[in-house]
Amino acid sequence: MIGQEPRRLPVKDGLLTVPLSPLEQVRLVGSKCPACREVTLGTISNCPNCAGSGLKPIPLANKGTLWTYTVIRNRPPGDFRGPEPFVPFGEGLVELPDGIRVLSPLGGDVEKLAIGMEMSFEAHKLYQNPDGVDVIAFRFVPSRGTNQ
Amino acid sequence: MTDTSVIVGVGMHKFGRFGDKPAAEIGRDAVHVALADAGVSWRDIEAAYLSTMYLPATSGARILRSLGATGIPICDVEAACASGGVALRQAILALQSGAHELVLVLGVEKMPKGFMDPLMLYERWQVEMGMSTNPSYWAMRARRHMHEFGTTEKHIAKVAYKNHRNSVYNPYAMYRKQFSLDEILDSKLVCDPIRLLEICAPNEGAAAVVLATERKARQLTSKPVRVAACVHTLALYSSDFRVPAESMSATYVNPGPTEVTAQKAFQASSISPEEIDCFEVQDTDAFCELEIYEQLGLCPLGEAGRLIDEGVTEPSGRHPVNTSGGLICKGEPVGASHLGQIAEIVWQLRGQAESRQIPKAKVGLAHVLGAGGNCAVTILKTLQ
Repeated sequence: MIGQEPRRLPVKDGLLTVPLSPLEQVRLVGSKCPACREVTLGTISNCPNCAGSGLKPIPLANKGTLWTYTVIRNRPPGDFRGPEPFVPFGEGLVELPDGIRVLSPLGGDVEKLAIGMEMSFEAHKLYQNPDGVDVIAFRFVPSRGTNQ
Repeated sequence: MTDTSVIVGVGMHKFGRFGDKPAAEIGRDAVHVALADAGVSWRDIEAAYLSTMYLPATSGARILRSLGATGIPICDVEAACASGGVALRQAILALQSGAHELVLVLGVEKMPKGFMDPLMLYERWQVEMGMSTNPSYWAMRARRHMHEFGTTEKHIAKVAYKNHRNSVYNPYAMYRKQFSLDEILDSKLVCDPIRLLEICAPNEGAAAVVLATERKARQLTSKPVRVAACVHTLALYSSDFRVPAESMSATYVNPGPTEVTAQKAFQASSISPEEIDCFEVQDTDAFCELEIYEQLGLCPLGEAGRLIDEGVTEPSGRHPVNTSGGLICKGEPVGASHLGQIAEIVWQLRGQAESRQIPKAKVGLAHVLGAGGNCAVTILKTLQ
């Protein structure tokens, strides 16, 4: 594959900034309402707060704080694409300075998660689809040097 | 309200697992009990509503028409865990409009075992990323509540303890076993801090309610129960991150769906939470019940732990909650769930709740909340 860009797709259209390479530069996309200023995850056309239109996509911050969390102890139902065999992982809401709490899987040691800890955004390959394309998803991980 | 809607009959089919017994039979069993309780026959019913989330299209017609093809309007109603409240509301609106004088509401469910199919509730990407475990959302709310208010795992376990103990006396519940607090706290973590003995399971069952206008009801029953309010709302913007999973605003604070719906019901009925003698609420998990105490106004925000510690919601307390054992013990056949709560409260208000009876209960409240932010609150009162 040397000299060739890996073929990549986001896990959902409009959720991640493009290009998807290099992964370190990928950010979450939010939609900002010009009327009420609320920010919603992903690329959407109508504001769920004020029903306004003309929302603008913006890249979201790549650092935030953990607002709440849980630990998923059993394999989630349905077509879960995480590691096999299943390993318990964190899920939480990460508050970003953009004014949104993003619901996200959490990386890192599940026993060390704590409300208020600083978290960093990370885009990663979730799986390869049958066409050989890497599907890119996201998670937040405790920032380096944070209580780990 | 221009006219009063009155419950003249209720009937339940036990909630649980019933092998190959078809949903239609489970439903009809509840209908027969409710019709007999009302002292009417199927031929007298002028319209019917089926509350269900998991049965196929036109199930209402298929289940009920076999009792006699009387040609009445029958339709299916769905609003996730609040389906029963929405079907009940449709029946009440039909009575109030003058279109009908005697109507039937039936809730039936026969759900697959284990988790509900996540693609009914989540987008594919959320499932693929592992964000489709329903209890995780309740768990995250619990974790935040513990952080802000000092609520403990023991407070949560105490709710489960109360409901499991209450269920021993309810022949309609799926699980009827008492557990010690230690057994609950030692049960497996499902989503931290929520444990296996603290969550409800989807299952099978049915409940039916016969409603009449007040004029008609006076001819039918000596123990009428009035519907003082029946309200359905959807969660306001960013007020609840129950399923389907949603990110939330960090700048906007709206009251949650239970608070909004209950307030509307209190206003419509001119009844305050202090005046209510018994409650059946959506204890999808034990923490949910704690949060509901605050949202219904039984205590200020952050003090639900104190309320359970003081025994206020015990059968012997000032505001008994889930004398039936709640969903944790009955299970949650989604479409039948609210109508099962209605049956329990009607029995309480008529003095027919046997060993679960709250002395002199005159006013009761039923509450459900689920996917899509669907919430329903019904307040019932004995009719003088």
